[in-house]
Amino acid sequence: MGFVLDGLEAESYDRTYSDRALVRRIAAYFRPHARTMALVAGMVVLASLTETVIPFVISRGIDALAGNPTAQLALALGGVVLVLGSLGWLFNFIRQSFSARAVGAVVLALREDAFAAVMQRDLSFYDQYASGRIVSRVTSDTQDFSTVVTLTIDLMSQFLLVLIISIMLFAIDSTLALLVLAVTPIVFIAALSFRRVARWATQRGQRATAEVNSVIQETVSGIAVAKSFRQEAAIYEDFRATNRLAYRVRLMRGLVLNTIFPTLDVISGIATALVIYYGGQRALAGTLSTGEWFLFVQTLGIFLFPLTSIASFWSQFQQGLSASERVFALIDAEPKVIQTGREPVERIAGRITFEHVQFSYNREARDLRLEASTREPAASLKPLDSSPWVLPDFSLDIPAGQTIAVVGHTGAGKSSLARLIMRFYEFQGGRVLIDGRDIRTLDLGQYRRKLGLVPQVPFLFAGTVAENIRYGRPDAADGEVELAALKLGGGEWIQDLPQGLQTDVGERGARLSLGQRQLVALARVLLQGPSIFILDEATASVDPFTEAQIQEGLDVVMRARTSIVIAHRLWTVRHADRIIVMKSGRIIEEGTHQSLLRQGGHYAELYNTYFRHQSLEYIEQVGAYAEE
Amino acid sequence: MLVSAREFTVAGEYVYDRRSPVRWIISHILRYPWLPVLTLLGNICSSALYNGGSILIGRAFDAVATPGARAAELLGLALLVLAARCGVGLFGIAQISAVQVLAERLERDAREELYISLLGKSQTFHNRQQVGDIMARATNDVQQLNLMISPGVMLIVDAGMFTIVPLIGIATVRVELLIVPLLFLLCFVFALRGYSRALNPVSGALREQFGMINSRLAEAISGIEVVKGYAQEKEEQRRFSENARGYRDLFVQEGRIKARYLPLLLFGIMFGLGFGHALLLFLNGALTIGQVVAFMGLLGVLRFPTFISLFSFSLVQLGIAGAERILALINDRTELDENAAGVAQAIDGEIVFEDVSFAYRDQGPKTKDESKRLESGNDTSDNGTPPSLVVSPSSLVLKDITFTAKPGETVAIVGQTGSGKTTLTKLVNRIYDATAGRVLIDGVDVRDWSMQSLRSQISTIEQDIFLFSRTIGENIAFGAPGSATRQQIEQAARAAQAHDFIMAFPDGYDTVVGERGVTLSGGQRQRIAIARAFMTDPRILVLDDSTSAIDSATEDEIQRAMRRIMKGRTTLLITHRISQIRWADRILVLRRGALVAQGSHDELMATSEAYRRIFARYERDEVASQQSPVGSRQ
Repeated sequence: MGFVLDGLEAESYDRTYSDRALVRRIAAYFRPHARTMALVAGMVVLASLTETVIPFVISRGIDALAGNPTAQLALALGGVVLVLGSLGWLFNFIRQSFSARAVGAVVLALREDAFAAVMQRDLSFYDQYASGRIVSRVTSDTQDFSTVVTLTIDLMSQFLLVLIISIMLFAIDSTLALLVLAVTPIVFIAALSFRRVARWATQRGQRATAEVNSVIQETVSGIAVAKSFRQEAAIYEDFRATNRLAYRVRLMRGLVLNTIFPTLDVISGIATALVIYYGGQRALAGTLSTGEWFLFVQTLGIFLFPLTSIASFWSQFQQGLSASERVFALIDAEPKVIQTGREPVERIAGRITFEHVQFSYNREARDLRLEASTREPAASLKPLDSSPWVLPDFSLDIPAGQTIAVVGHTGAGKSSLARLIMRFYEFQGGRVLIDGRDIRTLDLGQYRRKLGLVPQVPFLFAGTVAENIRYGRPDAADGEVELAALKLGGGEWIQDLPQGLQTDVGERGARLSLGQRQLVALARVLLQGPSIFILDEATASVDPFTEAQIQEGLDVVMRARTSIVIAHRLWTVRHADRIIVMKSGRIIEEGTHQSLLRQGGHYAELYNTYFRHQSLEYIEQVGAYAEE
Repeated sequence: MLVSAREFTVAGEYVYDRRSPVRWIISHILRYPWLPVLTLLGNICSSALYNGGSILIGRAFDAVATPGARAAELLGLALLVLAARCGVGLFGIAQISAVQVLAERLERDAREELYISLLGKSQTFHNRQQVGDIMARATNDVQQLNLMISPGVMLIVDAGMFTIVPLIGIATVRVELLIVPLLFLLCFVFALRGYSRALNPVSGALREQFGMINSRLAEAISGIEVVKGYAQEKEEQRRFSENARGYRDLFVQEGRIKARYLPLLLFGIMFGLGFGHALLLFLNGALTIGQVVAFMGLLGVLRFPTFISLFSFSLVQLGIAGAERILALINDRTELDENAAGVAQAIDGEIVFEDVSFAYRDQGPKTKDESKRLESGNDTSDNGTPPSLVVSPSSLVLKDITFTAKPGETVAIVGQTGSGKTTLTKLVNRIYDATAGRVLIDGVDVRDWSMQSLRSQISTIEQDIFLFSRTIGENIAFGAPGSATRQQIEQAARAAQAHDFIMAFPDGYDTVVGERGVTLSGGQRQRIAIARAFMTDPRILVLDDSTSAIDSATEDEIQRAMRRIMKGRTTLLITHRISQIRWADRILVLRRGALVAQGSHDELMATSEAYRRIFARYERDEVASQQSPVGSRQ
């Protein structure tokens, strides 16, 4: 029952579909497999029939044998039961293997649709929703959905079974059948109330487990520290208390969850006793044959068990429906980045122009039709909520080939510039022009191939260094990859990797240091040969040797390319053609390192906060601290 | 039984048999002997009563069939059946409760045992062991033990009883009737084995494939900026489809194997054969009609074990595998010797490395599938280099290192990730022992020092600083032998430049940090760790500062704190800060395990090309900074 709580967190793109819409949509996925499903349904009916017929044959057989005591009949009866049992197995086999085939295909289709939808979302979507939850929608929710289908098929067969048995029982003896039916509400109530208690106990148990796990996590991580300070007893007490508490809570849960079966035993005992007493009296009176009486006793078991699963079906079914609802919501979520055209992008010189751009992460995309009629970008949009603009009215022209360093405090809007150039987000007002062409009219795929991006923490995919360099151009030859790697710092960094270019980078590049990851990302950019280079410099420190190599590498990459660097390194700002100083989404100063320092304005303040300690002057000054 | 040296014990700890996983589990179960007894008793009673019920039902049929039967007799039988079923329920509850208590206690005790054993392990052990790995054993594996008992073992006991008792019941009806069910059981065992052999590899592959889809998807989503930036959406989609298709194929294959569960077919055949057999006996007059009814009822009971077997056996398998992993950890002995008789004296602080080489040896408790299980959590940096299995010259992490640090000197260790910086420092306090060469402290080989004396005078401030979910004050006092006063704590915090930011919290020193409290920045944690080190007042300090953030504002404070803690102590300093390197008394430049240069700043500027390159780009810019009007502090 672990799944009770999983994946129930709501996301804002979630929407409610009417049950009908949901069912219709699910049905659409099954349509290609209609014949398989029909076969499965047929098998369900046949399997249920054989299962009910067996006790019937036995009971009739006992009666018939009393009238005609021959060995042939006895053997024939045994044979019929044998064949029926085997047939039942066969029907179930066909049913299960075919439904697995259909369900597998439907889940695959659903997953592919969900993944395709995920790939089409712009980055605002990923900022907003934790990646783990997106993953669970694509994989686990689709899985839950498939269990519902299996469950529904099971339920159908259970239900048929109960139905057929009821009809049979009524046909034989309606009063006795009514007596049996009288027990059903008790079973239902027992099963339903049990579910509620079980859910409560399960939730508490899960919380206790989470608690104990987090204490273990902490105390285990802390063991080394506790040992070096000889505090073992203290953390042992912490652990022990939590472990004992978790024990009690979970024991409670276990006890509650497991009482259902004995309870059902007792209920079916009551029903059995009733049938024996009243059925026996009728048999005595001669209104019921012994065989029929036996039939009642035998079928009770078959009758009561499906009832409990029918009772618990609904909530599970609901869970599955809401799982499919979550998947559909993901598929249907609307993208915010909207292209107005798909003009081919052959070659880019690299001029970038921002014209009165208005941008906020939290606002809806603009209404394009409205904008076409009124040509006042800055005023055309009223803020949809109270959140301030990240870029209220931003204009900037970057000539082709220039290296621009963007500096400013956190939240000044530096990264937003890069993201808008990448077209990762939709802006709400103004225009962004690339070589004078509106960015919204370009073919995005082609355009982005002309851009080279190195994020703050470069992302590497599991695989080798060479595979990662090749990521943007899967067709590149080995020689090209090597060449790109060699261009950075003379290729010395490759020698420092245990297996050179064939070194496995580990999951997300975890086996390489941050500096090495940056070098791989730079090589990736070099191989791709973009016209515009965007670098978000790391804020974390890198060992001085690698740092030197990175800077030599940057020299190569930035040569003859429009480069936009969100700068955190003193070296970079000193080497930029032009520095843009940003504050609250506006450019407040502009110039070279020298000229800006001389102004003594915001840049000088930023210099003191972020760059000063990287200067030789500061390094020399630290020597004095020793004498304090 | 072997008792390994332990550093921590709990009074009255229960002693388990740790010679093998199965023995270990059994000794855990036998700790509460009345629970398995109660389980078994409850089980025997409830299944006996259940089958007794079937026989009673048969008797009711006979009662009706005999001429002159009375309704009163029937009522009595019906009531007896009811009583039997109520008994089944009651004993069932008793049994289930006993099993549940047993399962939960097993989980609790195993976890506690593991934990105590972890606390007893040497620091050497913990410095090597990955936290994620221990976590997996303390959570998943221990839980698997619980599931093994309930429902695993419980179902097996149930299934066993529901096989034996009906067979006994059948035997009491008539011994010949046993032929068919016994034949069935024989075939059943073989069919079950065949089934699990066919299913296990496919189920395993299916789980693996699901994991693959998940991790590949998670990767694509975390790297979405790169995917989109390089316009590789199509390629990613193709890869995802490939994985999802692989999953579909395995899913269909598994469905087919499950559908083909032969034991159920065998049951159907057995049921027919048994019926025919009973009827023939009835014709011969060997059975009454009621006995036929009772027999068929008993035969029907066998459906339950047929159905439930596979599930329960695989749970037990998983439980034993979990036990094996837990035991591997508990039984792991570190080759450490306390060397209590060794040199124990106040350390002056001289460190000498003489031709020191080092390679990781095969060590640590590892079962087959484990190394790949835990990739997560261990971030880059050279502190947790995974141990390789064989010592070959190429796997040397450190090669012929020779240097001397005089008492009170600060030695900066520079080099790239993986160059062996952290490993070098771990040889000083004997987290590891050198493979070749000697490490001397005050002229005495570290292996001749008393471990206690050696380690208590060496403090390490790690790269990832661990703080407990306690108050800041308690975290700082953690390092104090005995109880520290608030005044001492504040003094240490002041010296570590931590007092001001601590007082900025509403609760000051009583602010709770860590998972359940305030999150501190890297620089803040570092300063608290320095304060903690002030409390222990070590003679030798190992300081790993390689995660320093770039921010001039806190830079000053951290620089001061570090300068203060290093003063008067021999310090091995792993750092990225140029300023720290510049002002160290001695600098060691490591490259791929070898010491490529050493000396003071001025010496290295003269001798080392690599070192010069670091500073070259600063000198080029010197003119610029001299012109700047700002840059002087306060």
